Amino acid sequence: MLMIELNAVTKQYGSFTAVDNISFSVQTGEYFALLGPNGAGKTTIVKMLLDFTQPTSGSLSINSVPSTQAASRTAIGYLAENHHIPPHLSGWQYLQRCAELLNINRSDATDQCRRIVKQIGIEGRENTKTNTYSKGMIQRLGMGAALLGNPKLLLLDEPTAGLDPIGIIEIRQLLESLKNQGMTIFLNSHLLSEVEKICDNAAIIHQGRLLVKDNIAALIKNGDTLEDVFVRLVKG
Amino acid sequence: MPKARSSIITIAKYTLMDQVRQKSFIIMFVMCALFLLLVRNCSQGGFMVNGQTLDNEAVVRVVLKAVFHINAAGTMFLAALFSMRVFKRDRDEGMQSCILSKPITRWQYVAGKILGLLVLSVAFMFILHSIVFIMFSVNLKVVMPEYLIASLLCSFNLLFVVVAVLLFSLLMPDIIAFLCVTGIGIVSFVADGIAAVSRSPMGQAMMQQSDSTSDLSLWKVIYYLWPKLSGIQQAASSMFSREGFQGFLSIYPFINILIYSLILGALLFWRFRHEDII
Repeated sequence: MLMIELNAVTKQYGSFTAVDNISFSVQTGEYFALLGPNGAGKTTIVKMLLDFTQPTSGSLSINSVPSTQAASRTAIGYLAENHHIPPHLSGWQYLQRCAELLNINRSDATDQCRRIVKQIGIEGRENTKTNTYSKGMIQRLGMGAALLGNPKLLLLDEPTAGLDPIGIIEIRQLLESLKNQGMTIFLNSHLLSEVEKICDNAAIIHQGRLLVKDNIAALIKNGDTLEDVFVRLVKG
Repeated sequence: MPKARSSIITIAKYTLMDQVRQKSFIIMFVMCALFLLLVRNCSQGGFMVNGQTLDNEAVVRVVLKAVFHINAAGTMFLAALFSMRVFKRDRDEGMQSCILSKPITRWQYVAGKILGLLVLSVAFMFILHSIVFIMFSVNLKVVMPEYLIASLLCSFNLLFVVVAVLLFSLLMPDIIAFLCVTGIGIVSFVADGIAAVSRSPMGQAMMQQSDSTSDLSLWKVIYYLWPKLSGIQQAASSMFSREGFQGFLSIYPFINILIYSLILGALLFWRFRHEDII
């Protein structure tokens, strides 16, 4: 069953084409990585999936619901690149606020928030204001907020951006545990070695165009690494 | 629909809470309350001029009217200040993308913002008016419940200000949006002042001397079409002052502001629908 479908999607900003006639799909339960250099159009695709910006032409759907409808975001967790959190809120308040926005009832919200605080490893710090949190903690808190409401699809835009190696390992472990729960994960990333370790399938885009979409194992045949494949494709 | 309503109320609640916790809000509220304490002496009664005791109620009505207008206009100014950075703050703090990545539509988000700001501004003005009402009622034993009703009527103005500033803040820098709406308010008050003078015997005499009827009719059209922010305050204050109800002239400002609010509201929803979320 298709979780995400892009059909001939183009996005133009004036004369600049950010996404050029891209079509691909992601199956339910798949761990999918969208790869590309800076400015390739990865974030634009995520934004179109969330209806943050409208495509110039083409269509996108999530779980067979057009992304222009709010219902398509019913079971989505989203973590933005350079995630921001209101600095005056504590981690707990932020999670509670997100749970309330998802219309999760109070007792369920408290249970879920408790579970997530443990899962993302901010136990003991959840009641301090987020302006005292490290970048890694903010990112993990954002990931925790994305997990509220038990989403079927996680859209992660550079979840490891700006994190130190330990932070990256923590996020990877968290993602691996989610993968085992059968969640569909759509990951935008630069970190090819991380993607190679945990993703099933990947697509590489460059200058808004889709270069390849395949299984990771098929991409890195002949002893190449994903980085080799990426560089070869992007540099033409 | 109940789910949509619940999302709007949740967004409104958090908009209100985020505003109230700000130091600038608390400082403004305290300053306004202090200003009201300055006029508390007017509520002591026993006013005398040239050894003659004045009618307490008549004096109180004049003072109440002045304080009413200052409060209502001041709250409009503050409502514009509260509203001007709401979208920007949400964007900068990641709340806009957080909210809109959930099954919440953009109109629900905007409606929640308007509702939150409106409730905050109306409550702010009503509390200030209530302080004045209680002060005068206790000291002079003159109870005028119309004063509080008049305060609620001024919420039409606050709706206009909130919607206009939110819309303008999407089209121009926040401070310019604030200044534009403040400018509209100032023009409305000045125009009503000039209109009041022109209706006086002296004004009538001056107009008869100058033969510029065609120019005046154009100004009159602009005058009546301009947002009647001052007109609403005048009409509301006529409830407790002795001016009385003036038929259509009293109702017209409410219709005028309601139409403006609906048009600006529709433009706000339309504009935000096409806004890229960062």
